Amino acid sequence: MGIRRRAMLGVIALASISLPALSVHAEDVTITVWSLDRDIQPAPNLINDFNKLDTGIKVEYRQIQFDDVVSEAMRAYSTGQAPDIIAVDNPEHALFSSRGAFLDLTDMIAASSVVKPENYFPGPLASVTWEGKLYGIPKATNTIALYYNKDMFKAKGLDPEKPPQTWAELVDAARKLTDPAANVYGLAFSAKANEEGTFQFLPWAQMAGGGYDNINAEGVVKALDIWKTIIDEKLASPDSLTRGQWDSTGTFNSGNAAMAISGPWELDRMMQEAKFDWGVALLPVPEIGAERSSAMGDFNWAVFSSTRHPEEAFKVLEYFVSQDKRMFKDFGQLPARSDIAIPSTGEPLKDAALKVFLEQLKYAKPRGPHPQWPKISKAIQDAIQAALTGQMSSKDALEQAAEKIKGVLG
Amino acid sequence: MKKILSSVTDGKGFDIGLVLLPLAFLFVLSGLPLVYNVVMSFQEVDMFSLGSFARPFVGFKNYVDLFSQPETGPILFNTALFVSASIVGQFVIGFGLALFFWTNFPGASWLRGLFLVSWVMPGLVVGAIWNWILSGDFGVLNFFLREMAIINANIFWRSDPNYSLWAVIIANIWLGTSFNMILLSVGLSGIPKDLYEAAELDGATMLQRFFTITLPMMRSTIGAIVALGLIFTLQQFDLFAGITSGGPNNSSNVTQYWAWDLSFRQYDFAKGATISVIMIVFVMLASVVYVRSTRHEVRG
Repeated sequence: MGIRRRAMLGVIALASISLPALSVHAEDVTITVWSLDRDIQPAPNLINDFNKLDTGIKVEYRQIQFDDVVSEAMRAYSTGQAPDIIAVDNPEHALFSSRGAFLDLTDMIAASSVVKPENYFPGPLASVTWEGKLYGIPKATNTIALYYNKDMFKAKGLDPEKPPQTWAELVDAARKLTDPAANVYGLAFSAKANEEGTFQFLPWAQMAGGGYDNINAEGVVKALDIWKTIIDEKLASPDSLTRGQWDSTGTFNSGNAAMAISGPWELDRMMQEAKFDWGVALLPVPEIGAERSSAMGDFNWAVFSSTRHPEEAFKVLEYFVSQDKRMFKDFGQLPARSDIAIPSTGEPLKDAALKVFLEQLKYAKPRGPHPQWPKISKAIQDAIQAALTGQMSSKDALEQAAEKIKGVLG
Repeated sequence: MKKILSSVTDGKGFDIGLVLLPLAFLFVLSGLPLVYNVVMSFQEVDMFSLGSFARPFVGFKNYVDLFSQPETGPILFNTALFVSASIVGQFVIGFGLALFFWTNFPGASWLRGLFLVSWVMPGLVVGAIWNWILSGDFGVLNFFLREMAIINANIFWRSDPNYSLWAVIIANIWLGTSFNMILLSVGLSGIPKDLYEAAELDGATMLQRFFTITLPMMRSTIGAIVALGLIFTLQQFDLFAGITSGGPNNSSNVTQYWAWDLSFRQYDFAKGATISVIMIVFVMLASVVYVRSTRHEVRG
């Protein structure tokens, strides 16, 4: 008993010492922010800067791993311990907003002088929208385009200033550039059975007049047939089926692929590793004049509906938005806004590539938005892989996917 | 009061305590999650009801849904193939190595220890390394096979549905062999030498000695190894994540990876739990067989 009593006294003593210490900042409102940004990425740095402003709002940051974002957020929300602000991957956004887990920011944005919806690219904006309301603010964005090796184009008699414009030209160029003796494939891309596969294929489906809710459209079958041609004729490595975009583009950098489909996150590595002249072109379209499309990646900011300080949380988001012009220069990420001119980096290759990516962003479309996106995505991945491995025809595989997606959409 | 106290320190109460303690431990750390998992497989679960127990019961709907999916059959078959091929491979090679080191040539114990390196490595590292070895275009394995003139075109181990499961099996055999070898070595060194001397005097050939002395004396060790092998291969997740991610088109997908994919990629926790329940049934069956086969064993 004696020990317990003494321990209790100790606890009380400790509490009485630490209470005054806490009350120094008692007037401050604490806002917690979760995101996957590491120390060299935007969130922790912007938060540091914000805390220095001494606005009476204190922001606490927690980094979560990419794979854990959704499960951590779900667990926290369902047990009432959600943070005030979180960054979620854009296809997952609808999952939360449709269930009322995120706060409807429409009115606050309408009243804000910093956050203006018209400044954003349509794709990212659509991903934070659910039933006409805004449930978040795009944090950054990215998309995919076609990288090509200009030196190889010259060597094979192709015009390095005329990259392929259409699917037919792409296949044609890939045929000419493929050189098994030299270990060179014409194209590198990813058809992996995860979100990356969907990310890479969906733009093709959209350019051909399809979409996730119309995945068995005639044009989509044609798109998948083109992918199949590329794999069957070994114009791209068969390992494209199990390799992500980062690894696939690695083979482009090492000169083992003449073209690669990937995003701006490759630029820094490519600047260092690629010992040849390269360029970036818009994603080829089915035929000249056809509708353009591209994938849209990266995260959105959102406020949990369980927050006790919605006003303050929104102020923090406003600060983040006000710093969007630093996104590329300081952190190498593209702001999701069309009104910000990205300053020159002083590297001509990189500047030229950026121009293409910014142009491509205008056509970027979100995946969904739909609360059950992972299931829709899985159906698409299965179809891609069933067709590319020759286990089903493109048509049958996409019919099956359409059937599964219909089940999800209800 | 005093009686109870003395029985706890010395007597029946002490025995009961000895039994209760591990039972309580098992119940809290394994029993409850197991029950929770089974309950979840009969419920409708989504991420917002993850934190509460009061979820709508749906009967056998999850099971019916699961078995009406076209990929379920092939994935169950893949799991059976993965488990049996891995165990056979690990055991045969492990036993061969154990017998080899048993001859006790100079440095044998050192070398045997070094073999454990593969067992010490984290699964994800092993997965990443085999991912490179098995790569179609630049993989070491393909290079080796080509130079040996065994193949004349690259095999796309990871991406060809005919090979993808075998790619993971090869990696898993490599990973588990040393563990088998060490346990079997321990078993071998437990066999009294005089048995062999007597048999040799009676004129038994090497094969006869192996089949009439070594194998029967190793029975319980082998039973334990096969049971452990079953558990380890059914747990094997890292290699799938590292090498094929279950692809292409589920050709290398197995139940344990699928359960994770359903729960944490598609957020279908109920179906993930359903698969786990099916796996539990198989493991239970295997452990019953194991317990029965080693029950009468008396080690000398």
